[in-house]
Amino acid sequence: MNTVVAGITYRALLGRRRIILLLLLPLALLGLAVLFRVVAGNDQFMAVQLMQKFAIGTMLPLLGVIAGTGVIAPEIDDGTIIHLMSKPISRPTIIQTKFLVAASLLAVFGAVPTYFAAWLLAGNEDGIAAGFALGALVGGIAYAAVFLLLGVVTRHAVTIGIIYALVWESVVGGFIPGARQYSIQHWAGSIADQVSDSSFLKSDVTLGFAVPALLLVTVAGVVWAGQRLRVFSLTGDE
Amino acid sequence: MSEIYDIGYRHYDGPRLGRGYATRALTLHSLRGVFGLGRPARSKIMPFALFVIMLLPAVVAIATMALAQQRILPYSGFAVIMQAVVAIFLASQSPTVVAPDLRYRVLPLYLSRPVSVGEYVTAKVASMVIALFLLVAVPLTLMYVGELVVDMPGPPATGEYVGSVLMALVLAVLLSVYGLALASFTPRRGLGVASVIVVYLLSSASVPLVFSVLYESGYRSEADWAWLLNPFWLVDSVQSWLFGTPPHAIDGGSYPSGPASALILVVLIGIGLAALALRYRKAAAR
Repeated sequence: MNTVVAGITYRALLGRRRIILLLLLPLALLGLAVLFRVVAGNDQFMAVQLMQKFAIGTMLPLLGVIAGTGVIAPEIDDGTIIHLMSKPISRPTIIQTKFLVAASLLAVFGAVPTYFAAWLLAGNEDGIAAGFALGALVGGIAYAAVFLLLGVVTRHAVTIGIIYALVWESVVGGFIPGARQYSIQHWAGSIADQVSDSSFLKSDVTLGFAVPALLLVTVAGVVWAGQRLRVFSLTGDE
Repeated sequence: MSEIYDIGYRHYDGPRLGRGYATRALTLHSLRGVFGLGRPARSKIMPFALFVIMLLPAVVAIATMALAQQRILPYSGFAVIMQAVVAIFLASQSPTVVAPDLRYRVLPLYLSRPVSVGEYVTAKVASMVIALFLLVAVPLTLMYVGELVVDMPGPPATGEYVGSVLMALVLAVLLSVYGLALASFTPRRGLGVASVIVVYLLSSASVPLVFSVLYESGYRSEADWAWLLNPFWLVDSVQSWLFGTPPHAIDGGSYPSGPASALILVVLIGIGLAALALRYRKAAAR
């Protein structure tokens, strides 16, 4: 953890137009929650639907792509990463710092709005709000690690990340039950299911699988990204 | 003591091909850029992979027509069914059209030639429109040719095919105007891709939820308006009005009035073009 690197990364992410994107998604979630509240009243089924399909299913992976790749990919793109890498800071430390920045942004822009949206719709009934907030927090941390790694490995990180989030997690996970075992959003759903005891929320993935998997993905993502940055060589732009 | 040396610059007195030619050349150059032609191999992977994915359902549809004599994929519903792939193509390729020129600030170089800002933007939009139109219309045409070759019982669905190709053009105009407008607000590729896909996913993920919550709370007629929030269903609703095709909204949803959808479509394209014009007026002044 290096506070100077963290400060620069926060400024790069929050000072530019990227913050509009980071704000747009939680605002849309809260807007939908208000609309559902006005139209349908206190409806637990719709609350769970909104949380599963929109908050965990759409908003969280997108925020993960924006924040996770945003902490490192633009610097690699511009070549300004060379200024950072030529300083006497170990490269795994740079990656760990950037991971913490991305994870904290996902907590602020992902987990907190998720809690408020669920609370607007279902109050504190059955622990829905707390469950989904915890699921979004843990899932967001895993997404931050995965997309940070992707940002170091490839220049097409955003596109590949979106294809992963859209095709693998939504389409394949929606049709092939086995694929749900290997999907971050279903692991997050499993955590939410554990905290909440709502009858509308059922998870296919057991907690005994989801927790080790989340831990493994997060740690492996950060460590591997650190190793990749150690042997990183700058190549010309296309 | 100063002298003027003749260092051998020659005057050009060949034919001047004019602004139209320059605009067409810029369009072709941008269109090649969308598909990564004339660029390294890794720029070709994404567009061609997505193009092949678009062709796969058409091939499967032809195979079922040949083997089982059944139409499994209606022409009019092709764009709606494949909307995720079209959206990924739009998001991943629209920054390649606009971002490099903004990033390296070469716009003044273009504008020092006879090309004006309007023609520059027209060329960029036209190239993206052609690319998206090809992406949707080529599989449709392949399916239609397949249907003619297989010789299905009953008359071929020529009217539906022509209608869906026309609507593919309308869809391409709507999508490329917004894709380029969003992508042109940032010179960074990754951020451009992210902003286009975020706007698309906001519409596609929220629409079925908004529809079902309105429908189940008794606002049946209001619920239909929710479909118009998504560009693919908006164009489908206009198609349904113009050509009488069945609506392809999920959960058996139907569309509100057709003329209103067409009006919304025209207004949206106008707003998108205005945003692009404003953006480039500012970028050109820099």
